Amino acid sequence: MEGMVDIQIHEAACRGCRMCLDICPTDVFAFDEGRGMATVQAAEDCIACLSCAYLCPSNAISHHQFHAVKNFYRDISFCRRMERFL
Amino acid sequence: MGSKVRLNTDWLSDCGGCHIAIVDIHERILELLGAIELQRCPVLTDIKGYPDADLGLVSGAIRTEHDRHSAEAMRKSCKRIIAFGTCAVYGGVPGAGSVHTREQILDYAYGHNPTTEGHTLPADGVDSLEKLVTPIDEVIEVDLYLPGCPPHPAFIFDALLAVIEGRPPKAKDETVCARCHRRMERTEVSHVLANHDGIANRTQCFLSQGYVCLGSVTLDRCMAPCPNNGVVCTGCAGPTMQVLTEPNRDIRTEVGDRMAALTKIPRKEVIESIERAAKTHYAYAMATEMIGKKPTFLIEKWVAAIEEEGQP
Repeated sequence: MEGMVDIQIHEAACRGCRMCLDICPTDVFAFDEGRGMATVQAAEDCIACLSCAYLCPSNAISHHQFHAVKNFYRDISFCRRMERFL
Repeated sequence: MGSKVRLNTDWLSDCGGCHIAIVDIHERILELLGAIELQRCPVLTDIKGYPDADLGLVSGAIRTEHDRHSAEAMRKSCKRIIAFGTCAVYGGVPGAGSVHTREQILDYAYGHNPTTEGHTLPADGVDSLEKLVTPIDEVIEVDLYLPGCPPHPAFIFDALLAVIEGRPPKAKDETVCARCHRRMERTEVSHVLANHDGIANRTQCFLSQGYVCLGSVTLDRCMAPCPNNGVVCTGCAGPTMQVLTEPNRDIRTEVGDRMAALTKIPRKEVIESIERAAKTHYAYAMATEMIGKKPTFLIEKWVAAIEEEGQP
């Protein structure tokens, strides 16, 4: 859907800790008991705070189609180095 | 042959494991050799000089004058340099030497080593140690980074192929947890356990059981062999991107957040436990300024203390 944040969970990486369910302020996630992993239930409610992405132990959650807020404390040389990781 | 990518590799201060990991690509190296012309490579070829190359893999940190010379020679001979392995990217295990003076290190290794006799320091044909250990990007310009201790051969294979084909590598910035098969479950555990306390459950996450595992703050370039085989992650591939990039996020606070969510252990207790544990949580990455400049990291204080002890 246009204008909606696209949230992807890498299923093989999800360890089923439910931390994303707990931290999400808008209840975007649900838990699939059968498969023991988190699923995206209400992507339209996502406010792209990225709390889930930061807390996810596996770094398995990725967001697309959102306005990235540029942090003022990041310096350019440092960010360039980050782009070079293979 | 002319269209092949010419590859040089060199080996500075490290254990040699990264180069062995190249050999561990096994038969698939034949696929690479269709596109790569292997020139200088200390484990596979007998080329002593630095022939002109398109790509250079440099493993190891800068610890001696010879390391600095080799790194500069690699930079001059190669169009693109990949910092290869945790030592080259972050300083690695040799980097932990920065918290001791050179005299202390030499004295422990030679002067008062309990397992040797003679106790004489090597004098001839050995380069002297530099004051501090530095990752290679503080000495030469580095084009790409491939951390890992060593990087799993699958990552090396794909990274080389990606560079040759000019595409992004398949490697993501997921953590060791992403490859670990243990289940992260909520538990009633109320205290942090030392690694030697009891026997850990084989299928449940170490954090759920109260053991401090650095899997969730460590980049996956390893396929998680340690936690999958009953050993907690010690963070050998270096910290995740968010620990590196966010000044207020730190290994101890991130582990504290997650462990507190999984168990009944207060976040503060986890953080204090990690801080008490000989500061080994940054053992592989403490030499890099990416970590050294973090406000949450105290390496500058330690180095200042070394300098106060008196250096030439």
